[in-house]
Amino acid sequence: MAGFVEKLLNIDRRWLFLLVFAGVAVPIIMPMGLPVTTTGSTRSAFEFIDGLKPGDAVLISFDYGPSSAPENDPMAEGIMRQCFTKRIRVVICALYPLGGLQLANNSLAKVTAEFPHLKYGEDYVNLGFKDGAQAVMKRMGDDIVGAFPVDVRGTPLAQIPMMKEVRSLHQISVVVTIATGIIGEWWITQAHPQSGTPIIVGPTAVGAPKYYAYLNAGQLVGMLSGMKGAAEYEKLLAARYPDLGRFYRTTRAFTATKGMDAQTVIHFVIILFILIGNAAYMSHRAALRKAAAR
Amino acid sequence: MNFEFGRVALVVLFALLPIVGIALGFFVPALRARGPLVVGFFAGIIPILSLYIPKRFLSGETGMRPRLDQWLIIVYGFALLLGVVNVIQNGTRKVARREKGWPFSVVLLTGLFVTGGLGIWGAVSGQGITTLPDGSGTPFKWIADYFFLPLQATIFALLAFFMASAAFRAFRARNTEATILLVAGILVMAGRVPLLEFLAAPFPPIQPAAAAASQGLGKLTEWIMQTPNGAAQAGIIIGAALGAASMAIRVILGIEKGYLGLGGGE
Repeated sequence: MAGFVEKLLNIDRRWLFLLVFAGVAVPIIMPMGLPVTTTGSTRSAFEFIDGLKPGDAVLISFDYGPSSAPENDPMAEGIMRQCFTKRIRVVICALYPLGGLQLANNSLAKVTAEFPHLKYGEDYVNLGFKDGAQAVMKRMGDDIVGAFPVDVRGTPLAQIPMMKEVRSLHQISVVVTIATGIIGEWWITQAHPQSGTPIIVGPTAVGAPKYYAYLNAGQLVGMLSGMKGAAEYEKLLAARYPDLGRFYRTTRAFTATKGMDAQTVIHFVIILFILIGNAAYMSHRAALRKAAAR
Repeated sequence: MNFEFGRVALVVLFALLPIVGIALGFFVPALRARGPLVVGFFAGIIPILSLYIPKRFLSGETGMRPRLDQWLIIVYGFALLLGVVNVIQNGTRKVARREKGWPFSVVLLTGLFVTGGLGIWGAVSGQGITTLPDGSGTPFKWIADYFFLPLQATIFALLAFFMASAAFRAFRARNTEATILLVAGILVMAGRVPLLEFLAAPFPPIQPAAAAASQGLGKLTEWIMQTPNGAAQAGIIIGAALGAASMAIRVILGIEKGYLGLGGGE
């Protein structure tokens, strides 16, 4: 027994890596379709956007990079789909320097291709990237043109029809920040107090715990927490909008709902590792105590 | 011609005053820190005053505070430039001295010059940084799409393997605190995913019970995240905010001088 425990504690970590690889790869190749239950923070985000009227404007800020794209992309794309389905105008910007704009461009191109009737400049606009996130948010509170004089294509904002009505954050119904790091928090601490614009945040799962403080304080109207939050949002979208439901059921693209299968298996594998590791550790400690007592 | 007090005051405070400060620094070294301290004082105090004094020259559309916000965006751009200069200096030094790991610096510098060069060329030539006038992607976009995005995703994906290995080797119930953390961690990990449904999948008779238990576990997880975690996070955030406020007051009043880089920081 002691020999087995010793062996287990010193197991070659490549075996662990192999199990992790299988735990992630198999569910992605063979989806299981595990059920997703929704949480209050995701439902309140969904209901808030669902309560907006056609013509309202939503700002989606891409504040994440490629490292967390599998978690964050489905959030951004889900919210864009909801807005476009409801004819809510969308303003896109990117404040994350490491690839935020690239991801914004890719997601926007993907989703707008699903809604061919949309017109750039009337239904949506892409402001591009600007460095100095806190300063940009503060400036947007007064005047969006001050922070983004031109859009991503170099067109002056004054020449873009929808931006004639959307002059500052005061005309934005809700800011949705899809955030990897601290930029999401800055929207809450810098933009929200200045303009009073409601904020929805879509952090990665590891970044989500801190946002519960803001959620409890009423400074957030909702939160999509990690891949689970994105999968919950997809479920809510599919239930409320039949066309989007069909899309999420039939698409071959990666969605958060599919990702949840892999996440479930990998959580199981890690919990198993923790339990086995602790059982082996306790058994080893007991053996050492026994030997010391002799 | 309109006389804008705010604009004139900004020019005096942030253009003339620094010039006087630099001149003073040359002739009277003991006064070198005075100019930046005065500039720092006004840069810190103007946004605060604008919250309490609703005057046009301070907080109006073209007042001092919105202008300072805009300047801040420009200053951020220079900070980026400083970062690039720093990377070039460190990288070239490492390569020149053949320090340990110098080939990585060659890769870093090559990436910086090629990617940055293509981006700058796209902007300067008017062709566009990411998209050409005909709608096709630029070489800069190609590098971003096929090098940068997958590489960054790969690095982050590797974390899963190290986390699993660390979970097996380091996450131990060594004492009471570690045990509480361990139990809470396992509950949250299990409650955030449909784990019980997954485990019950091969056994149809127990699936309804697993679904009900999963709902309960989900609620417990939400409670852990909202109540103990939310309370602790609020405490941390408030503590950090108070620290930041006290540091801001020290900088505004000239007590904290470390940012001047003159070795006079406290």
